[in-house]
Amino acid sequence: MPKTSERPILDLERVVTRELPNGLRVRLLPERSALTVSYYTFFQVGSRNERLGRTGISHLFEHMMFNGAAKYGPKEFDRVLESRGGSSNAYTSNDLTAYYEDFASDALDTVVDLESDRMRSLALTPETLEQERQVVKEERRLRTENSVFGLMEEQLEALVFLAHPYRWPVIGWMDDIERITREDCATFFQTYYAPGNASIYAVGDLDPDRALNVIERSYGDIPAGPRPQPVPQGEPPQKGERRAVVRYPAQAPALLVGWRGPAARSPDCAPLDVLQTALAVGESSRLKRRLVEEEELAVSVQISWGWRIDPGVFVVYAELTPGADRGRAESVLWEEIDRVAARGIGAAELRRAQRLLRSSVLHELATHNGIAHALGQAEALLGDWREAGRALELYAAVTPRDVRRVAEAWLDPGRRCVVTLEPEDVR
Amino acid sequence: MSAPGGDITLPPLHELELGNGARVLVARRAGVPLVAVRLVISAGSALDPAGAHGLSHLVAQVARRGTARRTGKEIDDRVESLGSELGAGADEDFTYFGLSAPTEFLSALLDVVVDVATAPTFPAVEMDRIRRREIAGLAHVLDEPGAVADRAMISAVYRGHPYGHPTDGRVRDLKNVRRVDAVQFHRKWFSPSSAMLLVVGDVDPERALDLARRKLGRWRSTSAPPPPLPPVAPGPRAVVVVDKRDVTQSQVRVAVPALPRATPYYFPALVANAVFGGGFTSRLVEEVRVNRGLSYGVRSRFAMGRAAGLFFVSSFTKIETTAELLEVILEQAQRFSEEGPTEEELERAKSYLAGLYPLSLETHEQVADRLADVKLYGFPLEDVTCYRERVRAVSADDCREVARRHFPLGRGVVVVVGPAAAIARSLERFGPVEVMPARKVI
Repeated sequence: MPKTSERPILDLERVVTRELPNGLRVRLLPERSALTVSYYTFFQVGSRNERLGRTGISHLFEHMMFNGAAKYGPKEFDRVLESRGGSSNAYTSNDLTAYYEDFASDALDTVVDLESDRMRSLALTPETLEQERQVVKEERRLRTENSVFGLMEEQLEALVFLAHPYRWPVIGWMDDIERITREDCATFFQTYYAPGNASIYAVGDLDPDRALNVIERSYGDIPAGPRPQPVPQGEPPQKGERRAVVRYPAQAPALLVGWRGPAARSPDCAPLDVLQTALAVGESSRLKRRLVEEEELAVSVQISWGWRIDPGVFVVYAELTPGADRGRAESVLWEEIDRVAARGIGAAELRRAQRLLRSSVLHELATHNGIAHALGQAEALLGDWREAGRALELYAAVTPRDVRRVAEAWLDPGRRCVVTLEPEDVR
Repeated sequence: MSAPGGDITLPPLHELELGNGARVLVARRAGVPLVAVRLVISAGSALDPAGAHGLSHLVAQVARRGTARRTGKEIDDRVESLGSELGAGADEDFTYFGLSAPTEFLSALLDVVVDVATAPTFPAVEMDRIRRREIAGLAHVLDEPGAVADRAMISAVYRGHPYGHPTDGRVRDLKNVRRVDAVQFHRKWFSPSSAMLLVVGDVDPERALDLARRKLGRWRSTSAPPPPLPPVAPGPRAVVVVDKRDVTQSQVRVAVPALPRATPYYFPALVANAVFGGGFTSRLVEEVRVNRGLSYGVRSRFAMGRAAGLFFVSSFTKIETTAELLEVILEQAQRFSEEGPTEEELERAKSYLAGLYPLSLETHEQVADRLADVKLYGFPLEDVTCYRERVRAVSADDCREVARRHFPLGRGVVVVVGPAAAIARSLERFGPVEVMPARKVI
């Protein structure tokens, strides 16, 4: 890659940072390419912070955050925001919960007011809890119970992790969603939604000094909370392949495979991104070519390798051709994985992957929302928002030897977990 | 160059019609060092012959599998080794080829895009393979209740119209299509006069225009303009139940033929929809999700094509509350058409749409797509640059009028995907019920 001539994509010198006395971290980046601002609030809590019996509380709680606080009552959050030319959304992952607003620049004060109001004084009524519980159950029916991939993914995570909380789904088990009480929510709020467990990232058409002022004024009096308990570690080593079968009235078979990988802070993560790209990004990637194009065993193959705070999962998902030999599909996959673990990838293949990854980083950094999210994600997973600016550098430094090493180290046949979908007769 | 009024600023547009009739539009924008490239042909699935539904989709997929100069593998290797991924596909009206090029590789990548669109050879082996892949892919579609509902809705609401089949076709038709059909479709509809090239991003306009002249200017071919399509008239209310047992949730669609894209009612439709079912605070979200907890999501939308369009509501709920969900949706549509939006709702929707509009023009790709829409659907550029004024000019009466004409009031189709034995009877109150097996939607 022509690195030396490259202008910086993300000029992090201009990021203005502050930590308020109550622990709230603030990172602001003026960026006037469009007259809008993206405002993210990251809470360092996700399903990894949960316990059995209360799985899904992080996600259910995310829903509760839109149901009113002391100043802005029920239903007002989005109404006020929309009337000022903005929109909001949120997501919960295994590691974190992120809220964002995208809005016309002059609505910044309103957004700060709305966000600080709910961080200070969220209302948790039994009525809204019941209502959101029903909504979340529908969400679970949509994404898990009536989705082939959702059903299989739930099985896979439970195979890959015996002890770690990554074992249960982010949305939680149905019975747990049913069990969560208002008191659980109140304790959860006090513990995980205190300013010391949160960070704000605002990117766009803003004046950092003025914005800092507004933020300090609005959040400054929220008391610092307790320090959340660390998540216990200690996943036992895997001593052989693990398998699960999902029998479901589906039309077509599918294959889902996962290997436990390294934690986000490991130097192996960037080479695994390169490996993922070489194997399954683009029509000329190894697995697409072999499984889809040459042998027609699958109609699609994808890999998801998501960086997580604790060791995550390198996942291969293949939608198989109806009637295809499933055993053959598996053995071709193992062959390709073994080949890359034994011999690595060539220089041209590495360059291809690096260029594709560079384009994907550039796409991410092309919007205010993308930049704000990248800063927050980097700080949540890697402990430093500056890491968001290092992605291109990390990828450029990967060598063919690194790729071979991580394939060999992490994609060991004795440590894989395999979930197969066996279509039942459709009645 | 053109300088339309309005408070939304676009980069200067450089337009050119090549000697062969192809149109080119270039815009330089600051931002990430990428360039969005789109080559659009005015031919889509509305031109699929009877018995060959899915042909235009196959043409787009197989075009990239070989040209006079490159094999399919060489095309993929070339594009991806330069850090890009080629997209190809068709909708009702158009076929699209596009990619996002790293600035330094624009020339090489533009060359490939033009090559696949203008000189595909449709190798027989690739044609057969892609056909098998598409057919196998449809089996997986059948396992996604939401996708099944969308396909059934298109067929039901546009019944008998050239828009009335899913763009990716049907198993039976895909099996019948021959290589010669693809060759002929390409020869008949793909030509410089039906082509438009858009290049938007970090690029010197003169250089991009020069590239366009050199790469696209050599294309020699003629084609007839696509024939005009008939309008679609809504019929009386009909209910289609797509029988899918073993699901624990029904997928629900309510749809009615509505407006084509180049309509003077575009902005009233936009605002009325935002209030009724567009955003997070819409009437539908309020009633369905917030007040009754019936669903995780509900939304409405005007989907607008060149010749016709539809208005639809989409949601899902547990089997037991299917009829209740439909009841609420239809009742809200009726109420909205009588009362229109409140002053507060109207102002909120307008601020929301106007405030967020710049976000839909933030990336090179978004700008390229928007400019393509302007040129291809034939609406004024001022709909983009004066978007905010036009949104703000919409009145409550305009919204009520749109609802009265285009909301599903006693007309259109209701589509439910779920176990027919458990729900069909409860849906009879909405209209005559037709039950079909899920397999029939592919």
